[in-house]
Amino acid sequence: MIEVRDLTFSYDKDKQALHGLTFTVKEGEIFGFLGPNGSGKSTTQKILTGILRGYGGRVSLFGEEISSAQGPAFFQKIGVLFEFPYLYANLSAVDNLGYFSSFYPGEQLRDVMELLDRLEFKRDFLKKPVSSYSKGMRQRVSMARALVSNPKVLFLDEPTSGLDPSGAVLFRRIIEEERQKGTTVFLTTHNMLDADLLCDRVAFISGGNIVALDTPQKLKEQNSDRHVVIDYMYRGKRTEATVEIEELEAGIPFPHDEIIRIHSQEPTLEDIFIQYTGRGLT
Amino acid sequence: MGREFFHLLKKDGRLMLSGKFFLLALGSLVLYSVYIHFVYVNVNQEIYPVYLYDPKGKQAISTEYVTRVDTRERLEAACADRYSAGVDLSSDEPELYMLSSGLDTVDHYRAAWAWAALDEMADGQVQITGTNSREMKNRREITAEFLFFELSAVGFLGLASMLFKEKQMGVIRVHAILPVSRSAFIFSKLLWILASDLTFAALLTVINLGFPVGVTVLPAVLVQAGILSLLMALIGFLCAIGLPDFRQFSLLYLVIAVFVTTPVFLAGQTGLSWGWLKYHPMYHLFMSMKSAYFGAPVKAILYYLVCVGGIGLLFLLAHRALTREMVKEG
Repeated sequence: MIEVRDLTFSYDKDKQALHGLTFTVKEGEIFGFLGPNGSGKSTTQKILTGILRGYGGRVSLFGEEISSAQGPAFFQKIGVLFEFPYLYANLSAVDNLGYFSSFYPGEQLRDVMELLDRLEFKRDFLKKPVSSYSKGMRQRVSMARALVSNPKVLFLDEPTSGLDPSGAVLFRRIIEEERQKGTTVFLTTHNMLDADLLCDRVAFISGGNIVALDTPQKLKEQNSDRHVVIDYMYRGKRTEATVEIEELEAGIPFPHDEIIRIHSQEPTLEDIFIQYTGRGLT
Repeated sequence: MGREFFHLLKKDGRLMLSGKFFLLALGSLVLYSVYIHFVYVNVNQEIYPVYLYDPKGKQAISTEYVTRVDTRERLEAACADRYSAGVDLSSDEPELYMLSSGLDTVDHYRAAWAWAALDEMADGQVQITGTNSREMKNRREITAEFLFFELSAVGFLGLASMLFKEKQMGVIRVHAILPVSRSAFIFSKLLWILASDLTFAALLTVINLGFPVGVTVLPAVLVQAGILSLLMALIGFLCAIGLPDFRQFSLLYLVIAVFVTTPVFLAGQTGLSWGWLKYHPMYHLFMSMKSAYFGAPVKAILYYLVCVGGIGLLFLLAHRALTREMVKEG
């Protein structure tokens, strides 16, 4: 669905933002693009969405080179959620969605009310101007805008930013549903939890280079020291022991009265990112 | 394409309504018309007094505009106000005596009037300018100036404020990923401003010149209004897109309003003249507007070619600036 080969981009002569990125995203896959601010995430997404031109290398979407396929047909197939909820503040949620959806063929569109219900948007606010909405509500309308045209590829930039925990769970569920429908999702984030829970594969980008690319599980396995920490009670005394995973195959390898906790010691995606790049995700 | 453009137009119309743009234009229309009807048409400049020192009685006078004086000293004293003009016929060659007003153009008018006033044929001509009555001349003049001001200053602000709102809301960036062309995004705004300005121009003209006269000059006035409207709207678009916030825009607006438009007004209204003014594009637009109101529209093809070229160039720059804005970070 998305194919990127040796992608380079410079904002000016001395400032190269991307240094030859290569990756592919399969149809129906959720692909996470993880990196800190200024790593080249947004630049890559802008190139993939046809906003930024003048890049080097090859970038194709739907089998067509992006630089030569940027007519209305291209934009009809993609949906983009920006990091910030860009909406007309003087218009209501319904009017905003009515306006943005008016540029797509009618048969392609989803029902606006159904979509807003799915996003648990408060009905009392349907006709009120966006200026009176909370950030979470604006984010819901923005998500509805990205989804209303039933896109084949969905570009999401920090989708759960500004949402409360239940809103974040709802958004993850909706993104998962989109994947099940066959939509390809390109998720740009520095939220490791979103990436871990949602993505089939993730790419770590740092300084305009992809430093690692695999499934979250494999990345964690490859970077795990395969130890567990066991917190246990023995003869009235609480003790902690570190053992290798293989040692557990035959059971707990030391005397104990009660096992209190077992810590897998599996690294988080952020730990792995720091291992690869020497810097954090934020 | 047509359907998408209609939706852009609808959205821009709502933005203009919510920004009270039409209300502002209506307010300007009422204000200008009230001023023209009740103040400006009654304004009349006092005719330059002419004093004649003619000890040998060479010149017979039958006009009320010329006053005889007995001595040269009285002639000089009468002309000390730097407004009156004096003619001394005591020697063989007639001598014009005037103290300069400080403005070449005004001094030229004073001298011309002094000589004309001594000519009996001049009597009465001063009250008629071409085929206009003095009141109609005043109406045409001030209506042209108000329209020029409205289009160059207020209209410019109208589009810019609308665009600033969209910029602040970030929705311009959303249009980068919508199946709609960037040109259509600009055209939609231009069409609203153009329609609004042309309606304003037509109403202002008909209300202040009267229907029969207004209709005769309207085609030429609308052409000039259309040119000025498009040019200023595109400049407003470029400024609003290029500048980061409204405070900086206000500063630039002040510069444009004061340093660009004011010299044109001064030249048109006060007789100030500077050699470089002919290189000032706004001066030509201003004079073309005036000519249109006096029923003598500019006929030079070059003028229209330059205007169309200017509009085309500004449109390309606006398109480029819009593309750059769409790429920016949030």
